[in-house]
Amino acid sequence: MLNQLKARFGSGLAIGIVGMIAIWLIALVIMPQLLMVDYSFRPNLLPADIGGPKDTYSLVNYETLFSNQIHLKIFFKTIWSSVLVTALTLIVSYPIAFYLAKVATPQKAALCLLLLIIPFWINEILRTFSWYIILAYKGPLNAALLGLGLIDRPIRFLSGDGGVLIGMVYAYILFMIFPIYNAIESLDTNQIKAARNLGAGWIRTHWRVIIPHAKPGIATGCIMTFMLAAGSYAVPALLGSPGSRWFTQIIYNWFFEGGNWNQGAAYAFLLLVICIGFIALVMRVFKVGLGDIAR
Amino acid sequence: MDSSVHLDNVVMQFGDFTAIQKSDLKIESGEFFSFLGPSGCGKTTILNMISGFLDPTEGCVKIGGQDMAGVPANKRPTSMIFQNLALFPLMTVAENIEFGLEVRGVSKSERKKASDRLLELVALEGSGHKKVSELSGGQKQRIAIARALAVEPQVLLLDEPLSALDLKLRQHMRTELKEIQRKTGITFIYITHDQGEALTMSDRVAVMSAGRIQQVADPITLYRDPKTAFVASFVGENNAIQGKVERIDSGIAEIHCGELGVLKGRVQSSVAVGEEATLFIRPEHFRLQAEEGMLSIAVEIEEVNFEGAYLTLSTSTAAASKQNLTIQLGAHQYNDDLAKGKALSLSYNVSDAIVIGGDSNA
Repeated sequence: MLNQLKARFGSGLAIGIVGMIAIWLIALVIMPQLLMVDYSFRPNLLPADIGGPKDTYSLVNYETLFSNQIHLKIFFKTIWSSVLVTALTLIVSYPIAFYLAKVATPQKAALCLLLLIIPFWINEILRTFSWYIILAYKGPLNAALLGLGLIDRPIRFLSGDGGVLIGMVYAYILFMIFPIYNAIESLDTNQIKAARNLGAGWIRTHWRVIIPHAKPGIATGCIMTFMLAAGSYAVPALLGSPGSRWFTQIIYNWFFEGGNWNQGAAYAFLLLVICIGFIALVMRVFKVGLGDIAR
Repeated sequence: MDSSVHLDNVVMQFGDFTAIQKSDLKIESGEFFSFLGPSGCGKTTILNMISGFLDPTEGCVKIGGQDMAGVPANKRPTSMIFQNLALFPLMTVAENIEFGLEVRGVSKSERKKASDRLLELVALEGSGHKKVSELSGGQKQRIAIARALAVEPQVLLLDEPLSALDLKLRQHMRTELKEIQRKTGITFIYITHDQGEALTMSDRVAVMSAGRIQQVADPITLYRDPKTAFVASFVGENNAIQGKVERIDSGIAEIHCGELGVLKGRVQSSVAVGEEATLFIRPEHFRLQAEEGMLSIAVEIEEVNFEGAYLTLSTSTAAASKQNLTIQLGAHQYNDDLAKGKALSLSYNVSDAIVIGGDSNA
């Protein structure tokens, strides 16, 4: 890369560009991460004791999670709920992506995409808060359901995980729709016609022709949605109840309320490890490589 | 088995645009039938109506006498070979061929037997395990044929399947397609803009233009006796001379062609005395030596093109109108005298010229 840049911009500018990228990556991305890893293995000490005899490396911070049943439960619940959010988002997004890519006329598809994107011009906190209003006990959704006579009394959407799941599916739907939409769009429509022509019904056409082709897009969407869901803070904070705390909230508490960065760093690092494990698993299940996803 | 296809007064409209004008056409069981026309003439629309991807706005499609209205594409006894073949790239060659059988719930061993048999038919034995991307263009073509035949369709629809191949391969595949059609005995409906393909392979050809079926005939009739000006000029080469009908006598029309004087030709479509008409003479029907009963036109050579087996002369009439006429001669007639500027007298048999009513540009 350096040689190409040299050929184009001359060596001075080329070294400058590469140097800046290197500084950015090392100082602003890699070093802070390594610092956090370093923190996570050290005890939380008073400033005076840092670097002193008590400052030794240990796994104590990591063991805390496994000895704290509540935190451990929230940890696994977060992972499980994120899987659920990912699955729900996929179920909702695939038909939309297929419709946009292959069924809708170009004008309609453009209009739908615009309608999907416009709400995302608004800050995530505000969008999430609007769901807080919609899902409230005396909110419009309950009013509508009551009005239609579908329920006898309002449902408490915001207690338990329901509100969080709905909020997250909504918050991350675009990250699922777009990769799948791109993947399906690149499929030659004649492939679909050929499958139909050879006698395949819609389910088989999707299963054997469209989904295999869209697999990298589906994998990308699932990974992004899962990462965002597992790392989400605003949605569970606003739409969750005390019973549906997210692991990110625990991490936040260690950092900013407990004042224990070392403990928080260990928790954050564990979440990161699990997320990377999830990516590896998804890539295995979908039999896609990193190259397919980067496309 | 009756595998005829009947387009029963079909009309296809997209909004205000009429893609197919009212057409009624019966394609016989076991026929090799072609739709020939320039791009945008509606031939692919017809294929889509037969295969069930489009429903006609009016009329209906009948296959084997059965009305296909409401029968979805995946339930029709048709199978299609796409212009870009549309083989499934993520499946092996055998999986591609077996797909239609897999859909129908045929057992694995039966499917294997069928794909082996079809691979043999298209002379690609032992290629079943290969990936589609490992095949050459001609091999892909044959796999597409095998895949379409695997479902044992009553009607095979071919959408310009040879257009992506090079000339030699295309000519070879023509013979092969014809051979496969003969072996299987199913109805082939072939879409093409290449008249060579249509004329060499088909039992009958429908020439289409602007959503209208201009003429349906066997290739020889189509070439010898075109019924419309479009067919006359689209199928093969033709010289068109405008004029006004002066006299019609036992199928021969005399038309006055301005400075060229009175020329004669066989009447092909309804023409009436006093009306505009076009006289068509094919380049190969001109003679340099006049014989008994021939008519002649005086011209001057503008260009001589030697094309191997034959040579074409571009000429313009000696008269002031400078009407361009193209002449085709056998290569043996070539001599050094034939050069730009030489005056010639072109003669033709009245029975070789045809007269079609109206303006040829209409």
